[in-house]
Amino acid sequence: MLNSLFLNLGLLMATGLLFSLIAAHFNLPRIALYALAGLVWSQDLLGGVFGLQLGAWSESLTAAALALIAYLIGGSVTAKQLKKLGSTILFCTFGEVLGAAILVFVAVAIFLNGQADAMLLASALAVLAASTAPAATVAVIHEYRSHGPLTTSLLGVVALDDAIGIMLFSLFLVWSTGIAMTEVFASAGLEIGGAILLGEVMGWCLAFFGHRVRNPHFFLPMVLSAILLSQGLASIWHCSPLLTAMSLGFFARATFKSGGERLLAPVEYLEELVFLVFFTLAGAHFDLDILLSGFELVLLYVVARVIGKMLGTNVAARLVSAPKTVQKYIGFGVIPQAGIAIGLALSLLSHPVFAESGLLIVNVILASTLIYEVLGPFATRYALQQAGEIRESRQ
Amino acid sequence: MTERLIEQSVAEWLAQHPSQMVVVTQDTPLVTVVKLMLEHDSRDAYVVEGNRVRGHLGFNKLLNYLFTQERPVHSHRQLFSRIADISVVDIMDPHYAYCRPNEQINAVLHRQLQHDVTDLIVLATDDSPVGVVKLTEVVRESLQ
Repeated sequence: MLNSLFLNLGLLMATGLLFSLIAAHFNLPRIALYALAGLVWSQDLLGGVFGLQLGAWSESLTAAALALIAYLIGGSVTAKQLKKLGSTILFCTFGEVLGAAILVFVAVAIFLNGQADAMLLASALAVLAASTAPAATVAVIHEYRSHGPLTTSLLGVVALDDAIGIMLFSLFLVWSTGIAMTEVFASAGLEIGGAILLGEVMGWCLAFFGHRVRNPHFFLPMVLSAILLSQGLASIWHCSPLLTAMSLGFFARATFKSGGERLLAPVEYLEELVFLVFFTLAGAHFDLDILLSGFELVLLYVVARVIGKMLGTNVAARLVSAPKTVQKYIGFGVIPQAGIAIGLALSLLSHPVFAESGLLIVNVILASTLIYEVLGPFATRYALQQAGEIRESRQ
Repeated sequence: MTERLIEQSVAEWLAQHPSQMVVVTQDTPLVTVVKLMLEHDSRDAYVVEGNRVRGHLGFNKLLNYLFTQERPVHSHRQLFSRIADISVVDIMDPHYAYCRPNEQINAVLHRQLQHDVTDLIVLATDDSPVGVVKLTEVVRESLQ
């Protein structure tokens, strides 16, 4: 029986790293190989043979890792930069997020009509559909050296939608954690307002210490302690932990007034570690029976999310009279889905309300992520080619 | 071991090793700052407002922003800075390492290494910049 936390985590990470070497050698998408490494330790394979235990430790780890990502996303942008983004990026982001969420919700709700937890499952998948994977889009843009209005809009949208995805997910958790409808608004106000306020105060404190700490070796411990402390306080005071972390990042950078090297760069180095943990954990939660029973749901989710993103961006781009190339093709570039969706899905496993459906959600998101990982780069390249933003020599 | 301790004050050092510092204003374009650094063979630039130093810019940091499109992987922060035009004031570090003219050179060397600063700025008592101590010069002298 492998019931040691460190042994379990070490095995998952070591296998993930080993598989990432294979990915690098054969030029394969590394996150798919991380998931495959986790899958090796799932209950259907070696995890069942050696009795690998994925208990409370994996839930705590997921929560801490998600807090790091939310902190980085919150601190990635300043109010001044947000103002400079322009209406095309802002509208297209809201368009693709809402389009995907609405279409996935409607499609899944109709598909599961009559089943217990249908609304809960439809809502969960709808909010998870919002985020995209900037890494895949950036890799294609870099490979083809694309340049133009579509490229710029695409970069802006994939940067911004993760923040909106996390906000939507936090609102969804407030709604779904089993509070009576009459108390929902008061509770939501406390969870969301409290999270923003707590993040603001903690962000101010972090910037205060950031001004005084001179030794670069202390930057990472300083930021980690602020994130963990804010998560602990958010838990005690019933504030949304993800919004608290995002708000902490945003206000810390705003108060500190710099490019963020001191407060953000040390944590950015941990991002790959976080995604390694997310994907290997998700892979280890892989359950063939659950996936086979929900395979139609995976296909429905994949199709509905793609159509929703395309429709949403198209309508939004028309509303702001964006360039024709942006109107027609931006939807193709926002298909990839990766780490944030996986992390958010994993975090649902710790909520009692998802005791029945949590594993199905993780498996649907994992399987769909692998499909998007294959489709996404092709779709992005097609969009950039059609928009004429790929340099001739690279086509 | 061939290196020796340089028992000199920063003021004495500056008198013997005058080096031109790269100082820019808050509205200087990033490309201009990089060109100035190359011209002066420097890896550090200081942002001034009036006679006061407001922040520090490292060569690698500037290149990271200037050549973001050359990187196949971006953090969210790099994504936003790539699409929203940034200026010197947005990325300078307002908390920079410095030294005073009355400090000893051998004490300053540790600060340069700890903060990864090649050209450490020397501030007078009124905080106005009076020069830079070049790490390369200190090392050259120390190894002689």
